[in-house]
Amino acid sequence: MVYRTGIWPSFLFPSPSGVLENLSAGIQDLSIPIAAQISIQRLFIGYSISLVIGLLLGIMIDRIKYLDQALSPLLLGVQTLPSICWLPLAILWFGLGEEAIIFVIAIGSIFSISMAVVSGIKQIPHLYIRAAKTMGAKGLRRYTSVVIPAALPAIISGMKQGWSFAWRALMAGELLTPTSGLGYVLIMGRDLHDMNQVVGIMIVIVIMGVVTDRLLFGRVEHAILYRWGLTRSH
Amino acid sequence: MLEIVNVHKNFKTKNGVTNALQEVNLSVKNGDFVVLVGPSGCGKSTLLNIIAGLEKATSGQVSKSGRPILDAGPDRMVMFQEAALFPWLKVIDNVEYGMKIKGTGKRERREKAIHYLKMVHLTRFASAYPHELSVGMRQRVALARALSMDSDMLLMDEPFAALDSQTKSILHAELQQIWGATKKTIIFVTHNVEEAVLLAERVIVMTANPGRIKKEFRVQLARPRNMEDIDLTRTVGQILGELKEEVEKVAKAELDSDWSLENSSFISRPDTHLGNGI
Ligand SMILES: Nc1ncnc2c1ncn2[C@@H]1O[C@H](COP(=O)(O)OP(=O)(O)OP(=O)(O)O)[C@@H](O)[C@H]1O
Ligand SMILES: [Mg+2]
Repeated sequence: MVYRTGIWPSFLFPSPSGVLENLSAGIQDLSIPIAAQISIQRLFIGYSISLVIGLLLGIMIDRIKYLDQALSPLLLGVQTLPSICWLPLAILWFGLGEEAIIFVIAIGSIFSISMAVVSGIKQIPHLYIRAAKTMGAKGLRRYTSVVIPAALPAIISGMKQGWSFAWRALMAGELLTPTSGLGYVLIMGRDLHDMNQVVGIMIVIVIMGVVTDRLLFGRVEHAILYRWGLTRSH
Repeated sequence: MLEIVNVHKNFKTKNGVTNALQEVNLSVKNGDFVVLVGPSGCGKSTLLNIIAGLEKATSGQVSKSGRPILDAGPDRMVMFQEAALFPWLKVIDNVEYGMKIKGTGKRERREKAIHYLKMVHLTRFASAYPHELSVGMRQRVALARALSMDSDMLLMDEPFAALDSQTKSILHAELQQIWGATKKTIIFVTHNVEEAVLLAERVIVMTANPGRIKKEFRVQLARPRNMEDIDLTRTVGQILGELKEEVEKVAKAELDSDWSLENSSFISRPDTHLGNGI
């Protein structure tokens, strides 16, 4: 509709059919699937790193009291820093390439995951811990059998938030470093003034984001909230 | 044998220090059934938590079988006012949790869990999650969990307060029967004097501000006891008389007025909830 009005020249506003054509061509010659695969791979590596470090960091902060006092305000501050701001530092450390992007992805979600772990553990009903104590659960056993499961709903929502930060960091990183992946294809479309390609890739990015956020995390979160008795719906 | 000698407990809060327990002395023989009653805030839960090892006395000694109580442990199972089930575990896994920690084998664990679930009439819900159960059902699961640990001591903090009277009387009968059969030492906290007299060998009346033991009543009625029994009602009346003064003291302190129980009916109401409103 907007297109039909003809207010904008076609190189500034794409036609739906042009976008579709561009998309199907990109899918048929595999350029979009390949780019998507590269992006997803990075995301998984970066996110896995942040998951491991974020969980360990969170548990460490919880276990060591003075770390909590020292690190929590710092983490809160660092968390407000958009992860792409780490890119210059990452490029200085790792050079312009794969490692820099993965670093930015990881750093973007580490803090939200560890903060979620810390606050999730703090919010555990004290009654669970008391019950576990009277049944003789101590040390690591108490951690794995009560503390972590009790904090899991909060941890999952931190993981979900971390994932969306990671996803954003990935796109920003690919846009700003001339390498490969969906973000790079997007920036190529701009360089070629190919509006159809730009919008086509944007659509792909939106779809991938929605699928992972809603279908993957949304379902896991819902299942956990239900089992923990935190939802009313059935 | 549980020995509580000269126990004091202070809580430091923003508004100063609360003297929750003062000079509490109590010894409980193995196999005894002791019920603590007293006005709200007199330190019943605090005393129970100290025995459980969940709270530390500010001063004084608490020992069980000659050994000082330093920590919570599976030899003293606690039933809280809330069921304290783990929401991520199915009912049966909740019952098995403590036995798992203790290292009981898988088969024995399952058999015992089912045995105790049967006793509280909940086998049908073995694979339900706690939030799918009513409050009373959850409390019954907690009872099954506590009993399955085979501890020689059972500490119960108003465990049946949230239950309907029918479930309550079933569990009262069940608990008396279990006590008779296992000879566990039971220390039970309640607001309800009838419940206290129904269950106890000894009723300990506590007073508030500061929390201390005021008086002890021995209940020497035959079991199984019945709420309608005349002797039981008489004992309830005696204890209520003792408590009335205490409750009035607390109410006065809290309301800061000449509020009197003579004008208020909630303690001497002659219906079945007699003594429920302390
Ligand atoms: N963790 C705590 N911190 C500060 N004060 C506390 C704490 N726990 C209990 N108290 C105080 O200690 C006193 C005794 O509390 P406790 O819970 O033992 O009373 P209770 O007899 O169990 O009362 P209720 O019948 O209402 O359950 C109260 O004045 C209460 O305010
Ligand atoms: Mg209490």
